[in-house]
Amino acid sequence: MLALLPQAIIDGVLLGGIYLTVAMGFSLAFGVLHIIDFAVGEWIMLGAFIGLIFTKWLGVDALLSLPVVFVIFAVVGWLLQPLLHRVLSGSRGRPVLMGLVFTFGLALAFRGSALTVFGIFTHSLDTVLSQGSWHLDWGPFFLTVPLIRLAGLVYALAVILGFNYLLKRTDFGLAVRAVAQNKEAAGLMGVDVNRTSAAVYGLYVGISAMTGVFIGAIVSLNAGMGPDLSIFAFFVVVLAGMGYLAGVPWAAFLLGLIQSFFLIYFNPSHVLLALFSILYLILLISPTGMFRKGV
Amino acid sequence: MQRRGWWVAVVLALALGLSLAVGPVLAADEFKIGVITSLSGDLATGGNVTKRGYDLWGKAVNAQGGIQIKGKKYPVRLIYGDDQSQPAQAASAAERLAVQEKVDVVLGPYASGMTLAAAPVLEKYKIPMITGSAESPLIWRQKFRYTFGTIPPVNFTGSAVIKTLAALPGGPKSAVIYGTNDAFSKATAEAFQTTAEQVGIKVLKFNILPPKQDLTPLMSAAKVLNPDLIAFGGHDEELINLVKVLTQLDFTPKALLMHYGVTEPAFIQALGKNANQVLGASVWTGSMQTKGALGWPTAKAYADAAVAEYPKDPADYTQAACSAAGLVFQAALVQLAAAPPLDEAARTKLVEILEKIDLQTFYGRVKFATEGDYYHSNAGLTPLTVQILDGKERVVAPAESAQTKLSYPMTPWNKR
Amino acid sequence: MRGRPAWLWILLVIAAVGTVPLLIADAFFLRLFTEALMWIGLAITWDLMAGYIGYLNFGHGVFFGVGAYTAALLITKGGWPFWPALALGGLAAGLVALVSGWPTLRLRGAYFAIGTWALNRAVGQVALVLDFTGGPDGMRLPPFLHPQFFAYVMLGVVGATFLILWLLLEQAPFGLKLKAIREDESGSLAIGLNPAWLKLQAFVLSAVPTGILGGVYAYWITFIDPSSTLGDLITDQAVVMAIFGGLGTLIGPVIGAVLFFSFKTYFWAYLSDYQVLYLIILGLAIAATVFFLPDGFWGTVANRWEGRRALRKGLSLGQAAGT
Repeated sequence: MLALLPQAIIDGVLLGGIYLTVAMGFSLAFGVLHIIDFAVGEWIMLGAFIGLIFTKWLGVDALLSLPVVFVIFAVVGWLLQPLLHRVLSGSRGRPVLMGLVFTFGLALAFRGSALTVFGIFTHSLDTVLSQGSWHLDWGPFFLTVPLIRLAGLVYALAVILGFNYLLKRTDFGLAVRAVAQNKEAAGLMGVDVNRTSAAVYGLYVGISAMTGVFIGAIVSLNAGMGPDLSIFAFFVVVLAGMGYLAGVPWAAFLLGLIQSFFLIYFNPSHVLLALFSILYLILLISPTGMFRKGV
Repeated sequence: MQRRGWWVAVVLALALGLSLAVGPVLAADEFKIGVITSLSGDLATGGNVTKRGYDLWGKAVNAQGGIQIKGKKYPVRLIYGDDQSQPAQAASAAERLAVQEKVDVVLGPYASGMTLAAAPVLEKYKIPMITGSAESPLIWRQKFRYTFGTIPPVNFTGSAVIKTLAALPGGPKSAVIYGTNDAFSKATAEAFQTTAEQVGIKVLKFNILPPKQDLTPLMSAAKVLNPDLIAFGGHDEELINLVKVLTQLDFTPKALLMHYGVTEPAFIQALGKNANQVLGASVWTGSMQTKGALGWPTAKAYADAAVAEYPKDPADYTQAACSAAGLVFQAALVQLAAAPPLDEAARTKLVEILEKIDLQTFYGRVKFATEGDYYHSNAGLTPLTVQILDGKERVVAPAESAQTKLSYPMTPWNKR
Repeated sequence: MRGRPAWLWILLVIAAVGTVPLLIADAFFLRLFTEALMWIGLAITWDLMAGYIGYLNFGHGVFFGVGAYTAALLITKGGWPFWPALALGGLAAGLVALVSGWPTLRLRGAYFAIGTWALNRAVGQVALVLDFTGGPDGMRLPPFLHPQFFAYVMLGVVGATFLILWLLLEQAPFGLKLKAIREDESGSLAIGLNPAWLKLQAFVLSAVPTGILGGVYAYWITFIDPSSTLGDLITDQAVVMAIFGGLGTLIGPVIGAVLFFSFKTYFWAYLSDYQVLYLIILGLAIAATVFFLPDGFWGTVANRWEGRRALRKGLSLGQAAGT
């Protein structure tokens, strides 16, 4: 079984890549806007479906729909953010809970709409990369790396690097970091808090929607796929420490590797039990995430 | 303050109760057929299949004017109760149909768990139920007197395909078998495993997985073992994912077997040419040479009628079994010769008729077992092995029903 | 307030509600009645943690599931009669709260929410993989179909829970102490409270009745499986009901539960053709409630009444003072 070790690692890393795509936008939204968006899975699902429509309508490769999907959903997010802001900043308090339940309501509404419009069946997105894979044979070891999953990983890393650049080297990023640290002070310093917040939320929704296209290509898409994705987004972000963007890749890869190793070397039927238990234990040992840098 | 709140709550509760307690007024010149199935929730895909089956029957019967009792024709009215894929709602729906709608008979749920929750309620009210879907052997072991099923248990159908494969010259000698951890899929995988061991196929790996698991690591491990056969028990989404993972890992076993769901158009549409040569288990297809004494005269007639009504959803065996369930009630009611509404004595007599009934339909023969592990389920059908060929479902075994030869081994993915 | 103490009023209302099963013997109505009561119980026990202490337990359903499975196992495999099995179901849930609460309550905010959710899912997986609990096939209990029996049992459990919580939260200092923790946990240490111990007590207090409700559910529906008793649905609906009604009071969740349940049932029973629209309408209703009525229906109404009373009092004082 040692021969499987490299494959187990690669599978875990690629799986972690998928988790990373799901969690990275979500972490940004929480870190800056302090929103726990229960609808993250639904944004992903909707992005996947719009990608499907675009692909079928024009008969093109699914990956070409990425920019279109991003633009559409970024605009939607931009327009929606002021509503969220009102919910979160009420003088009535309990912003975390209110934001959670509000987005939970939105998630249900999106899911219901998707079921009504798109029906209950599962679909798949086709790309030129869907069937390709790299093979590596070296002595007793061998490796198969599915190209589409690799593409997902590349996308995730590209976005993370893009965030890093955006946040650390642009004026916009400076404004975002200011808003994340202290909204009032940022406003006093001349940052347009409303516009910045709306832009961040738009960015988050747009990226999540693009993730949907990847997931539709790597696995499949259907109107009910939201909740399972949201759960993994939450877990990854909480494990990383809420608001600590740099921790997200590590948490995502950790979860992917745990799953992969467990499935290959232990009893697969216990994999989720192991996963949830490990998550629970890590939280108990390190209540603000595994790097102790969470908010 | 708090007192007023209390009264508000009580008044609301009473208002709700009264509005529901005064049910709709009854009419006595039609048969009221209750239907409990999953119109929403996780199992809505399957639930809608059953709905199509039951609706097709209802429309067909009413097109003829209804069921003939003593010279008068009584149309049927299907009254739906959504179980929302939750056992508590299945029980609630059963109670509502029995008490408020006062249905004469019930057509049953898609899923076994819902059937198990609804059956005791219907036993209490002595309302017969036939389900066209729930396949878990657990149901029949409970020996509910008033519950019947037109589909045989899944261990009955699953084993036949393995036997077909084993009988092939140069057939598979080794297998990796997986199943999702839900009642139906687990029973399917266990049936595959038991039969494989019986016929001398070596089971290299057998695992039950949590639902919607990513299959890449598992298939990587399977690839190392290089089995001739990969058999999988699961639902539509997982089946599609499995094939995609296999194509991504570039591993083509000699045979790929899944149970239900391969015949869904979504499977074929999503996978395109990669769906070809996948094997499935069934008890009915539109190509069978069955003759119906009641209702649709042949399997093809039913398949055509189904596609005419639902162009995007060709009929599969669950849908057929549901329409057949309606036909069984129809035949039994004619034999009972009692006008609606049926009282308790009439319904009890109906159960006695159902136990003795032996009906030839487009779906095949319906005869319920009256004892043993398959009590009240329809164990008289012939299990079929089907294969997707050229984007269509084809029967490949047993020989007397086969439309074409089983294609073995599978063409590698990258050569398609 | 007029002379009679609050608990007497509560008993009177419970007694009044208790006459309903005698007056309306329709089995379907009684089933709805029983289910509505169950949801009231789930909503108020969830609100105990969320509204009074400010800890969002997204795994609240785990207590329900533990209670249901414990009672089911005792009844079917142990041959125990209903009442002791039920009691032990509640006890088992309380034990889970005690053991898991001590470490878990150290978590704050979203971490606590996700942590409890992870616990719920982990226990769900345990029930799914063990043969002993029936695995995915679930467990069947011997059928005992007496609508009035279950209506009264549920009323008894939920009524007793409400009364006990009322006495502890609204009469005794316990409630105030919990609210102090909600407002400022570190500050509460300064005034001599022991938040860790108080939180644990509340956690166990929210668990035991929920476990008992699970046990009743198992015997009532006669069939349980991991997805129906240890899935997310129990918690999700309790949360929504408590929010609809208003957190931080006991009456809020009651009203929220009744309203939500009525809406859901009406839709399901009479508008089943539009079942697909149900999710959309529900989602929009939840979002709208949070947006426009963050204190829930009861909360908003109560605030208005309070406001008007205060205004009237203020005016009358003003008049008395001659200004």
